[in-house]
Amino acid sequence: MTPIYLDQAATSFPKPPAVAEAMHRALTESAASPGRSAHRFSLSAARAIFDARELVARLFSVEDSSRIAFTANVTQALNTALFGLIRSGDHVLTTGLEHNSVMRPLGWLAERLGVEVTVVDCPGGGPADPEDFAGAKTARTRLAVVNHASNVTGVIQPLAEIKAALGDVPLVVDAAQTAGALPLTAADSGADVLAFTGHKALCGPTGTGGLWVSPDLDIEPLVHGGTGSRSEHEAQPEFMPDRLEAGTPNTIGLAGLAAGLDFVLTTGVQSIRDHEKNLTARFLTGAADVPGLTVYGPLDPDRRVAVVSLNIQGWSPSDLARSLEQDFHILTRSGLHCAPRAHRTIGAFPQGAVRFSFGLFNTPDEIDAAIGALGRLARRT
Amino acid sequence: MDRVSTVFILQSIHQVLKAEKALERAGLPFDLIPVPKEVNPECGMAVETPPDQANRVRDLLDQTGLRVVAAYHRSGREFTPLDPVPTT
Repeated sequence: MTPIYLDQAATSFPKPPAVAEAMHRALTESAASPGRSAHRFSLSAARAIFDARELVARLFSVEDSSRIAFTANVTQALNTALFGLIRSGDHVLTTGLEHNSVMRPLGWLAERLGVEVTVVDCPGGGPADPEDFAGAKTARTRLAVVNHASNVTGVIQPLAEIKAALGDVPLVVDAAQTAGALPLTAADSGADVLAFTGHKALCGPTGTGGLWVSPDLDIEPLVHGGTGSRSEHEAQPEFMPDRLEAGTPNTIGLAGLAAGLDFVLTTGVQSIRDHEKNLTARFLTGAADVPGLTVYGPLDPDRRVAVVSLNIQGWSPSDLARSLEQDFHILTRSGLHCAPRAHRTIGAFPQGAVRFSFGLFNTPDEIDAAIGALGRLARRT
Repeated sequence: MDRVSTVFILQSIHQVLKAEKALERAGLPFDLIPVPKEVNPECGMAVETPPDQANRVRDLLDQTGLRVVAAYHRSGREFTPLDPVPTT
């Protein structure tokens, strides 16, 4: 039986065929070091990365694509922003639904540099109240870091309202679950930094991600090294994207990401959102009839992305996920989803939950199969 | 015969590739060449154009928001800084 892949929030699968084709082409036809040499293969590799950058700029409606730097993943992008902006003694705002890609760097900065972190509550795994940001802001507040949508409850945060409450304080947005899944422009979001991953809704391969940085913001590099530019200087260039892109990049992966982005932009982010919202609504409706099942976060599909975490009375999350795979070939993710803070917020720590997440290629029949499986397992306890 | 041209040095490979797209779209004649070692130890690429197209190329680079770091008149392996950089 063909597995039903409902772990799209971890990484999207399958990918559009053009992604693998682009990566194969890049690897076999011109796998040179981009922008380092002057020969045609190096130039071709640099063009592949340039194309990916321009497509990200289109996705976020950004005019100057040089403000987009690629990283290995969204974790590195967030670390780049946090370590590049926060200094000893600063104050930082975040929410109770953040991933460890935010909480761990903030924990390190708090412990080692005395950075003060205020966690704005998200009651029941729902959205934060923008007024709480206004209330918690101090003269030392360096930035706020907020995920656009939770990887646990899927709730969509009111970014523009949060930014309005922050005023001049920069807003760093973790768009891991939303870039390519929700219409998102740099201007409308209120973000000063948008950190994204390539391997989820953007349909690219793992090992790709990046960040858009507002022209008003300078981020100190996290990594220093070769860029192919200003080679006569032993200091990192001050211009983007080179400032944040030391070392040979993942050319093959970025060629794949460009193909994924092209697919997403051609399909239309709003169409993708509509499809995923329909699947989520179908799942939530079905889940409401499963005995002993608890869904975390808001039940309104308009207020969440296609991520649903749940528990069933009498089942541990790991046993439930295991039975879903063994008995029904349904692939989900159990546990804490690298977000212990979020699980504390929803009252599911330390046991965690089972997360179902849907994507562009999932179908209503697959949702029905998942609901049917949950119903049978709920009655088996 | 010595090659005669105008060479524009841009800030980064990103800007060179942005220039390439803009120049292609505008149908202006140009080549991408390694940054000549005679003018800069940079290991990147530069935009080379016939001298009679230099002003049009420079205008387009400006309109595209690209930063010309330096411009040279080339005659063979001799590079003369253009000061001021050609512009209309």
